[in-house]
Parts: sequence; C-alpha cells; structure tokens
Amino acid sequence: MTCENAISVDHLRLKFSGEKSFLMKDFSLSIQKNEKVLIVGPSGSGKSTLLQVLSGLIPNSVEVPVTYQSRTLPNAYGYVFQDPDAQFCMPYVDEELAFVLENMQVPHIEMEDYIQYYLHLVGLKLTNAHTKISELSGGMKQRLAIASAMALQPDILFLDEPTAMLDPEGTQRVWDTIKQVSKEQTVVIVEHKIEKVLDYVDRVVFINQKGQIVADDNPQTVWQQHRSQWKEHGIWYPGVWNDYIRSHSFHQFADIDHKDADVLVQLSDFKVYRNKKEQVSVDNMTIAKGDLIAIRGINGSGKSTFLLGLIELLSTAGTCIYNPDSFVDHQPIYQQIGFVFQNPELQFVTDQVYKELEFSLTNIDLTDEEKHDWIDEMLQQIHLKHTQKKHPYELSTGEKKRLSIATAIINRPPLVLLDEPTFGQDARNTFEIMNMIQQLQKLGTAIVMVTHDDAISNQFATQKGYMHQGNLSMRSLKEVTFTNAT
Amino acid sequence: MQLNFSYRTTWLHQVNPSVKLSILMIIFIGLIFIHNPNMIVYIGMGTSLLYVFYTGHRWVTIGLLFAPFILIFVTTSVAMVLFGDGETTWFRFGIIHITEESFYRGLHLGLRSIVFGLFGLIFALTTRPVLLFYSLMQQFKLHPKYAYSFMAAIRMLPIIAEEFQVLRQALKIRGINYEKGIKGVYQRIRLYAIPLLAQSIRRAHRIAVAMEAKQFSQSEQGRTYYYPLTYSFYDLLFFVIVSGLLVCSLYLAISFPIFPVVNVR
Repeated sequence: MTCENAISVDHLRLKFSGEKSFLMKDFSLSIQKNEKVLIVGPSGSGKSTLLQVLSGLIPNSVEVPVTYQSRTLPNAYGYVFQDPDAQFCMPYVDEELAFVLENMQVPHIEMEDYIQYYLHLVGLKLTNAHTKISELSGGMKQRLAIASAMALQPDILFLDEPTAMLDPEGTQRVWDTIKQVSKEQTVVIVEHKIEKVLDYVDRVVFINQKGQIVADDNPQTVWQQHRSQWKEHGIWYPGVWNDYIRSHSFHQFADIDHKDADVLVQLSDFKVYRNKKEQVSVDNMTIAKGDLIAIRGINGSGKSTFLLGLIELLSTAGTCIYNPDSFVDHQPIYQQIGFVFQNPELQFVTDQVYKELEFSLTNIDLTDEEKHDWIDEMLQQIHLKHTQKKHPYELSTGEKKRLSIATAIINRPPLVLLDEPTFGQDARNTFEIMNMIQQLQKLGTAIVMVTHDDAISNQFATQKGYMHQGNLSMRSLKEVTFTNAT
Repeated sequence: MQLNFSYRTTWLHQVNPSVKLSILMIIFIGLIFIHNPNMIVYIGMGTSLLYVFYTGHRWVTIGLLFAPFILIFVTTSVAMVLFGDGETTWFRFGIIHITEESFYRGLHLGLRSIVFGLFGLIFALTTRPVLLFYSLMQQFKLHPKYAYSFMAAIRMLPIIAEEFQVLRQALKIRGINYEKGIKGVYQRIRLYAIPLLAQSIRRAHRIAVAMEAKQFSQSEQGRTYYYPLTYSFYDLLFFVIVSGLLVCSLYLAISFPIFPVVNVR
C-alpha cells in the first residue's frame, strides 16, 4: 500500500448487551492519512458507535464487547460530540480549554497564550475568556468543543453530528470553522445533515440499517448512484424537502379565514413575565382554526417563553381572548391545549406506550371501547403499534418524539403548540411529523410551532412570527403558494 | 431563580482554600469543647464582623443567606430552654419546665449553631468551588479523578434545576392529579425522580466519555495546573485573625462576662 493508513479496523464485531443481533458484523474500514471521510446512514445504524471504535474510546473508555482481527488507532485525536451541554466539565470557557492543556501537561505560563490562540482559531471572539459556558449559544459551545479538540494537537478529528442540535446559522459557522482549522488533519464525520459537508469531504461511506457498507466512493458517485437510498434512510441530502413536497399533495391552507367565528385566540398588547421581568411582548396576533404559525428567532430570544405565556403557565399582561366556543372556563387553559416540549422524555408519565396515550384521554368523555379505538388508530398512524407494550424510554429518538406529539394531540385539542418538534430528527422522521401536523391542520386544529427550519416556515406556515429580543412581530402569508406537482 | 451573586474580591478570597478549610475544620471541632456562653457570644460578634464586612457580597445577599440561621437558632435553643433539666426553676407549666441552667444551655447551643453557620457562610461566600478543588489537588494531593468529577457534577446542577422546572410544567400540562397522603408522595417521587435521574445519568456518562476523549488521564504525575495555588501571606493573616478572635473572645469572656454562667454543662 502506498498511502499510510491513519486508522483502520478489520472484521469488527460489536454487540450491545441485551440486544439480540450484532450491531456490526465483520465490518472493515480503513481511512488514509489526510482523508476527509463522511459516514452516513440511517438512525440506529451504529455510526456513532463506529466512530468511538475507530478512536479507541470503545472499548478503552466505554465498555462494549467488541472483537476485531486488527485495528490501527490514532496517535492523537480530537473528538467533537453532538450535545453541546454534555461535553464540558468546567464552568468557564478558559477553564475548559485549560483542562485540555493540563491533560497535555502544558506548562502554566504558556496556557494563557494557548487559550487565546485556540479561541481565535475557531473565531470565538469573547471580550474575556473567563466567560461562563452556559452563556454561550449552542453554536459557540460547539466551536469551543472544536477549540478543545484542536488543543489536543490531533492528527485526526472525529466529528459526531456536531451540528445536530444547532440552528442553521450555528450550523454554517461550525462547518466553516471545521473547514478552516482541519486542513492538515484526517477528518471522520458522522452526520445526517449532509448539505454543508458534501463539498468538503473526499469520500462518503454509506452504512445501512444492518451495519453493512452499501457504498464507499467519492461524494459525486455516491450522490448519483444511491439517491433513492438517501431518501429511504432519512438522510438530509440537498433538495430533500423538494422531493418530499413533490411526492405529497397538500391541502391548500393559504386562505385561512380570520373570520370571527374561526378565531381561536386573539392577542393584543400581550406581555409575558418571568421572575416579574417582562420577557416577551406581542402587539397583535390572531390564531384561527387551521392556522400553522411558525415562530422563528435565535436561541434565547423568548420563543419558548412566549409559548408558556400563551397557555398561562407564566404570568402575563394585556389582552388574550380565548374563543369560548372552543375553550371552557372550568379547566386551566394549559390542560386544554396540546403542548410538545423539546425533550419528549420529560413529558412521559407512565411506563408503557399504550398507557401513555390512555393517560391523555383520562378526562375525555368516551367509553372504554372508544378510547381503545382512538389509541389504536393513533398507534397505527405513528407506527408504534408493535411497541405499544414497551416503556417509552426504550423507544428510539424519533419514536419518542412521535409518541410525545401523539400524547399531546390524541384528545383533539383545538390548539397545539410545539417547541422545535423537528429538532435533531432525521429527514424521515421530520416528514412523519410534518404529516401528523398537516393531518391536524386539516381537522381545523390551530398549530403554533417554534422552528429553525426554513423549509417548514416557507412551505407550510400560514403565518410567520419573528422573535427578536423578546419582541414578536407577525407576518401573514396569504400569498404563499404551494409547489404542488400532482 | 436569578439572584445577583456579584461580589468584590476581598482578602478572604485570597486565602488558600485548603488552608481556609483546614482552619475552619479545627474551629468547628474546637467549638464543641467550649462551654462558656460568654465566649461564644464574643466569638459570634467577631465572626459577624468578618461575615458582614469582609465577604465582599452585597448587603441583600448577606442578609438573605443569614436569615435561615435565625430560624436554626430559635429551633435549637427553644427545645433545650423549654424542656431541659435544671435545678433553679424559673417557670413551670405542664411539661414545660424552664430552669436557669436549661435557659443558658439552650442559648449556648443556639449561639453555637449561629457561629457554625457564620463560619460556613464565610467559607462558602469567599471560595470558588473550582479553586477549592484545584487547591485540594495541589496542597492535599487529592486525586484529579475525584476533583474533576466533582467539578463536572457542580456544572450539571443548574442544568438539572432547569430540567426540573420544565418537568413541572410538563406534568401540569399533562394534567397529573396527585393522590393524597403517602401515595401522593410516592407518586411525586416516581414522576420527578425517574426522568431527572435518567437525563442526568445519560449526561454524566456523555461528559465522562468527552473528558476521556480530551485525554484526561487518571494519573496526577506531570499534570500541570491552570490555577497554581500556593501558600501566601493571606493564609498567615487568616490564621492570625482567627486565632486573635478566639484569644480576644476568651479574654473578654473572663474580664467582661455578659451572663452569670461560665459553664453550661
């Protein structure tokens, strides 16, 4: 072989305890020095696990039973993980970088310079490096993670979906940073939002559900020859939204009537308070039956606070009129609407998928038989029929999300609020969620959702809201037309 | 919960955390052997001066944090005052029996808990946890494995608090009706503990893996420190001031006693 292998693994077998089948069986992969490799595959195909094996974290740090015939480990590597909140151990930016430098046994007097150097390298312009990490945005946290990885002076960088939890702007900046800093490194990326990565990598390795390599070639070839599989496996390839929109016929929602009879909620001069401080203000907003309102805005601008104010879980001021035909007086508003939080696990209250849906129907006037039918129908719709006896925590990320939405909508509330429902989901699950949302819309349910996704707010919303420093301004989109093929 | 904890740095902040901790530990143990209420009063006065003027925190913070100790004072002393044994009866009503001895003993216990509280607050308000662990690693050779585990754990606390709030809102929205009595307590524990623990355990595991990925080796040999902490003039100052406080209190307790009792045992 002419080129030196930076890392490789031969005949890898890996199985998690409690699982029936191997996650990886006789899997071989070698990556050459300076190669930029993208590993793609459906959720649950073991991409992240593979990355941990290649780096040596498995089995050195994470104990998973593995066997292999041979393995080449990197000399020095940097690793960037997915969750910005679960990869730092120190409270301040400088201390976190110092933690790495201490591990590298860098003398104390050189640390300050190194910290400044690495912060500069990833474009983190802080007036003072002694800034709390909790005050950074998700994108900045990930760039700090890159800085920490670079401080290890790695030959190879492992990136495990570094932008899965970021908004589009953060995503862009993180990839720009990676492209800039990693010229001399071997880079192995696991990612399912590949739009920003495709032109950067030399090689794409496509893994299927069974942990087998389906394709291993340059991006163009894989892109052209395996397009149908990208779609099938829920990968965010460029143009995926167009394919989705083309393959479905959508109901026309552009002409929502804001007639009085259809108005569900009317806000004017509405303010939301947290700790007695005004956090959000809305001049005017009308939510009517069949509305799908997309609320955009950067992290921390008050979008979630607004949702909590709208359902009276936070104290508010100003006018907020709920249509008495749709809402009753004797129950708090927050129990009459559907609300989907970002983290589905915080919404589960029972120990079974079926019971979870049953619980949402507790106060609904239905016979047991009818309840069973409703639940059954919902389980069919969200494809969880086969897991109805499982504990909600045992479901996959996407399944958890669908279940949490189902618990919020099964009792058919007039209004459903969703806080970034498609956040961190793969393309397939995102479309399933969009199908659910559109189904609701057809029934006349109003939907208000916080989203970072351009495609959702541009293609599906009837109204757009922009949150800027706690100020929500609304824009109606009656002129919206749908690209509707059939 | 958005309290303003901004403060100015005082000489107490400059004292080496390990030294500070050791001196305070000795005082804590020593206090148990002091049975003269006069001395406790004078120590309390001296400590209050340190607490109020040299922790560098705002008056509001100082006042708010002290408030619970008044409650502790009342509860500790009242039990002893009302029900303790003694020979010189001042007042008796049913099972309530106030004697001179029990009154001073109660007062003594109450004051002692206040002094404990003040020293504890002085330590907590003038020591950053990160520096404490850096100091324990350097002065007391605490294994980095434990030091960094603690620091990482402290970082998780605000995240857990935030999750707790979201969980509370989520349960409200889902319309949980709590059962009455002991069953309700069990129900609450189940509904809160399981999700919070599940999140935290997963996050802890991820952070641990991330730390190892950053080449956190478990040996302390050759490890360098971002905050090199050594002994300084301030450590001596702290020692002198605290010992001076004790000596002065002893002198004042003997020369200018406030209470007629010198031994509450």
